[in-house]
Amino acid sequence: MLENFSFRTIVEYLPLFGQGLITTVWLSALSFVGALAVGIVLSAMHLQRGWLFRVPAKAYIDAVRATPLLAQLYFLYFGLPRLGFILPELVVGILALSLNSGAYVAEIIRAGILSIPRGHAEAGVASGMTYVQRMRLVILPQAFKVTIPPLLGQAIVLVKDSALLSLISVAELTRAGQLLASDRFMPAEGFITIAAFYLMLYYCLKGLAALSGRWLGLAGART
Amino acid sequence: MIEFRGVNKWFGALNVLKDITLSVEPGEVVVVCGPSGSGKSTLIRCINGLETIRDGDLVVDGRRLGDPATNMTLLRAEIGFVFQSFNLYPHKTALENVTLAPIHVRKIQRAEAEKAGRELLAKVGLADKVNAYPAQLSGGQQQRVAIARCLGMRPKIMLFDEPTSALDPEMISEVLDVMVAVAEEGMTMMVVTHEMGFARKVAQRVVFMDAGAIVESGTPEEFFSDPKTDRSRAFLSKILRH
Repeated sequence: MLENFSFRTIVEYLPLFGQGLITTVWLSALSFVGALAVGIVLSAMHLQRGWLFRVPAKAYIDAVRATPLLAQLYFLYFGLPRLGFILPELVVGILALSLNSGAYVAEIIRAGILSIPRGHAEAGVASGMTYVQRMRLVILPQAFKVTIPPLLGQAIVLVKDSALLSLISVAELTRAGQLLASDRFMPAEGFITIAAFYLMLYYCLKGLAALSGRWLGLAGART
Repeated sequence: MIEFRGVNKWFGALNVLKDITLSVEPGEVVVVCGPSGSGKSTLIRCINGLETIRDGDLVVDGRRLGDPATNMTLLRAEIGFVFQSFNLYPHKTALENVTLAPIHVRKIQRAEAEKAGRELLAKVGLADKVNAYPAQLSGGQQQRVAIARCLGMRPKIMLFDEPTSALDPEMISEVLDVMVAVAEEGMTMMVVTHEMGFARKVAQRVVFMDAGAIVESGTPEEFFSDPKTDRSRAFLSKILRH
């Protein structure tokens, strides 16, 4: 059985996998930055007391969380051109990942902000700080620390989700596996290799999470 | 300095402040006591607008609360508030806790604010804890930092919401000593506490509250030796028995 497993072909295709890996890394990174931007705006909207911002933010987050990423991706890829927006696959892919992950990031940030005891905000209020000052000086620096680990968890999810972009012919890592599978009919080789690369990325991000956790533990004093 | 005229407040259907009329003169120290749930904390939280009142007038430092012309942010800067649970900023050192509002709200130069902050921390007996984080301090030390944090704003009024209730018994006196020192400097103070020794020592007046209303008000001497109402007699017999 294993004699059929062609390591040679894997080596032969390594440059292709390398390119796919690089694409996966940078498009994930870019999407994560986009997700952070979307998440910050959404969480700020969701935290407002008035319904004008809160309700649309909540509706958006629910809509994203309730529907499959693949459906969202197809909507953007096939649906938008019908509505007159024609964008390159890569842009659509990054947009889809940012908009999707942004909803989850929003909830992480919101939870982080809500985890800060009310008393800290009250102390800020009592000393005459404005809302913006309280956020900037008291709440966000603390919330930032608690959100780092779950945000890195979300980054790991995002990297794996980026595999779906292979379905709209973005030449990322999973696409490289598909090519090997279809060119040479070697799905085992193709997909085990990309799995190894994803595992590698996972450990990189996990290492980063552990590192940041240790750094935050040292730098910040908790109550 | 602080004037309540017919103030009422409700939490839902619960009338937590009932027709409160009370006036605190500049430099006066007023102790507020009463059973739990009697509205003492709510009363002093109204003064800096942490709670809002439903009707009646509340005038603080010449400014009427709820009046659109009253800038609450500016007013709050003049009022120090010490919480039962300290509420220090855990990501800031003791000195940073003290200087944060002076720098950002009062717009004082950092160097100047730090100099004043060090002096204040020395004054509350924590000169050696300037760079400590709240988590590295005992409850009593944290509360003293919290008092220094208020003093850093050079307030006209200081409000204390059960400042020693969350402390171990042996730490209570170190906090009370600081409060006595603040009172002796002529600060206008309203203190929610059951520390009757403190009340006797520095308060000009004791206000006894029950079920949202002021039941009795008088000098500490009058209140402790000759309580006028059954309710205050019952209360005093309970807290003074031990």
